[in-house]
Amino acid sequence: MKKIMIIEDDVGIRRELQDLLLHAGYQVESVDDFEHALEVLLKSQADLLLMDINIPYLNGELLLKEFRKKSDTPVIMLTSRTSELDEVLSMTYGADDYIIKPYNPTILLLRIQNIFKRAEGNHYQSFYKDVEVLPSKGILKRGNEELELTKNEMIIFQYLLNHLGTIVTRDELMADLWNNEEYINDNALTVNISRLRNKLASFGYEEIIETRKGQGYILL
Amino acid sequence: MSFLRYIKDRLISIVVFFLYYFFFLMILFVFKVPRTLVIVFTLFCLFLFSFSFLYDFFRKKKFYDELCQNVALLDKKYLVVETLSTPNFYEGELFVQNLYDINKSMIERVNKKERSIEDFKDYIEMWIHEAKIPISSLTLMCHNHQEIDKKVLEQIKRLDNYVEQVLYYVRSEHAEKDYLIKEVSLKKMLNTVALKNREDLLENKIDLLIEIDDVKIRTDEKWLEFIVNQIINNAIKYKNKENAYIKINTNLKGEQVFLIIEDNGMGISSSDLPKVFEKSFTGKNGRIMTKSTGMGLYIASSLCKKLGHKIQIDSKEGIYTKVTLTFSLHSFYDVVK
Repeated sequence: MKKIMIIEDDVGIRRELQDLLLHAGYQVESVDDFEHALEVLLKSQADLLLMDINIPYLNGELLLKEFRKKSDTPVIMLTSRTSELDEVLSMTYGADDYIIKPYNPTILLLRIQNIFKRAEGNHYQSFYKDVEVLPSKGILKRGNEELELTKNEMIIFQYLLNHLGTIVTRDELMADLWNNEEYINDNALTVNISRLRNKLASFGYEEIIETRKGQGYILL
Repeated sequence: MSFLRYIKDRLISIVVFFLYYFFFLMILFVFKVPRTLVIVFTLFCLFLFSFSFLYDFFRKKKFYDELCQNVALLDKKYLVVETLSTPNFYEGELFVQNLYDINKSMIERVNKKERSIEDFKDYIEMWIHEAKIPISSLTLMCHNHQEIDKKVLEQIKRLDNYVEQVLYYVRSEHAEKDYLIKEVSLKKMLNTVALKNREDLLENKIDLLIEIDDVKIRTDEKWLEFIVNQIINNAIKYKNKENAYIKINTNLKGEQVFLIIEDNGMGISSSDLPKVFEKSFTGKNGRIMTKSTGMGLYIASSLCKKLGHKIQIDSKEGIYTKVTLTFSLHSFYDVVK
């Protein structure tokens, strides 16, 4: 299980972030002692840091700069500062992403996933059972057989695959599609999913995407 | 300085001089002084009088002409005190000295005001950053507790949008140091704005049709996001019928890139159209929708002006609204760089 470290001095946000990340299946820790934040961070062996810029003692940017001297752990800066200058500064100090408050929680989770995906290279879940997923070609491959998927279907399938066996909400799928510049509406999502189901059925996988009423979809 | 006006001002001393002169003339006649002496006396008096008169006129003329000319030429007229040479007559000295003191006290006053505005601006910026913390908290809470009504989230978004407006209003009014120009991909910028408005668009069943060229322009990304966000917000707010859509296209023409955002909403009446970028203008649509502050487009257009972009709006009431942002490709900034 991935461990995420939260460096945020506002107790309300910290608690909600913890809840959000726990729900999403991450292990969560947070920094309480900001005076010795750097040592805590270096000792924590977290897989990702979520860092606020306005924190007591050393501010986030400086903390990041010091932290980067000793560790390559991915860092996402969370901030209410909305100037381009702050973003550029954070990025040059070695942040991997920069998200402005108030952030959309679904998007935040997506960004976190993306960073983990990037960190692990391209080997992220490229097989479903005996089927190889080739997103760059837009096909599923089993032996010599190939199944062509449209871009939208591929995004949906990959997202379901990355969350194999867990329920994925329509909102999450929608966020992922929009994040990939596919601005589709609710009807189109339904159509895409039923088309994907039909294609998979014709490929020999019937009923692998189940609908959980009021919750979302699950890939079995 | 006009000579005639000067003489008119000194009419009394001229009249007094001639009274004196005639008085003496009469005495000279009474004592039967020879004619030549009278002429010599007359010439002598006239010469002395004119000399003192003209001397005074020209030294004042020199000073006041310089003053008038400098005031006319300067665009910051209050700086005129610094350009004057010291006058060589008493009144002038008094005048300059006082002008100097007046100027100084006004500058102090202006500085004080400026400092207090600067303080106020800093406070507002800080306040906004603080206000965003509870807004973020609330957003997260709504997500974590699905039982909370979706309407709550809607209101939080409105609140966030208003807070953001204040921030950019402050920035657009005093924007010397707050922006950073770099290469921005229109696609990426639109993606950020689209994600931000995703729930609103889906909720309102508005289709977002983005078909743009992958161009990079030079701008401040955050500012541009705000501008486009205001336009999209308006399109959502003033949607009209079923099958609502927002179409976003680009158009490249030589050195210019046009970003065209078109919706099929309620549009703007032709009488309101020229005034939409005015401060606090709400117009007909604003009266229908009580949510209007009339600030969104005003701030957007003043940010555009600062960034060197052009914003135009075109509309037919009840049919469409089309906002066009025009960016220059590199030439402008290449020169500045």
